[in-house]
Amino acid sequence: MTESQPMERGYRRILACYPRAFRRESEEEILAVLMATARPGQRRVALAEFADLIRGALRMHRGPRLPRALLIPVRLAYVGAAAELSVLIALLVTLAGLTSAAIRSYPDFNVAQWRAVLLLAHLPAAQAGAPILLALWVWLACANARGNRAGRLAFWAVWGIIKAGIAAEAIAVIAVYGIGGALALAVLILVQFGAMGLIFYPSKDPLPYRPHRQLDPAQR
Amino acid sequence: MQEATFLILTALAGGSLHGYGIIAQVGEISGGRVRLRAGTLYTALDRLRADKLIGVDYEEIVDGRLRRYYRLTPAGRRLLAAEAARLHAHATAALTRLSLAGGVA
Repeated sequence: MTESQPMERGYRRILACYPRAFRRESEEEILAVLMATARPGQRRVALAEFADLIRGALRMHRGPRLPRALLIPVRLAYVGAAAELSVLIALLVTLAGLTSAAIRSYPDFNVAQWRAVLLLAHLPAAQAGAPILLALWVWLACANARGNRAGRLAFWAVWGIIKAGIAAEAIAVIAVYGIGGALALAVLILVQFGAMGLIFYPSKDPLPYRPHRQLDPAQR
Repeated sequence: MQEATFLILTALAGGSLHGYGIIAQVGEISGGRVRLRAGTLYTALDRLRADKLIGVDYEEIVDGRLRRYYRLTPAGRRLLAAEAARLHAHATAALTRLSLAGGVA
């Protein structure tokens, strides 16, 4: 045992690169495997093991530990939130032009009135609250992964209210922005429905797995 | 599913195994072609546990070292069965076409 001590110390130093939670749970276990798979008489860390352990550490530090079936919907949720943010920016950028165009069409309304109408009608909570929506989405994905039913129902309720608001706005948006606005809105809503659908009904595909490239080819 | 994941699940289909046991079984199943390393194995086990495809069966201390035994969950069993059926169908199709074309006799 004493002969292998430098090797064990070496492996412990590499394992220090792993996330703390993993080390607490599995350091002794993985160390036992490393010692058991060492060649007879081996006294130092093997280069191939070193590379493999570093690769494993990098992989463990990357990304949230969500079930794989939920990674795609969570990414889609990010896209949805980004789209909401871009809608908000587009509205703010075009506000002045819209207001003057609207004044030409409806001389009875003044600038301040139009600005108020646009701000109140076309910047609903859903858009102003895009970051909140994003956080809710990610939280939902996590809650769903843990099988939290109450969390899912609560999220459905919040989401339903926001989307009902957007649907009501759609008519106004189409009136102001025309067919382009309608298309943008349709895409936005479809992306969000897609994300929600996939979160609530994760893929039953038996092949959601693509974890370890290194192991795929024959390895000696 | 990657070959290594398939082989790990296959190794566990025969009963619960600890880390070193999985490495040995995977070597045997693949005819010595795939040699799992510890870093790869534990990244895979961590992932499989997060996805509830495997679970911890029991633990024991041997020669002062921790051994944790893993087993397939029902979901892992289903996934492995589906993947095995898929691979089997593909292999059968390949062999059928090869023999039709006269490539293999």
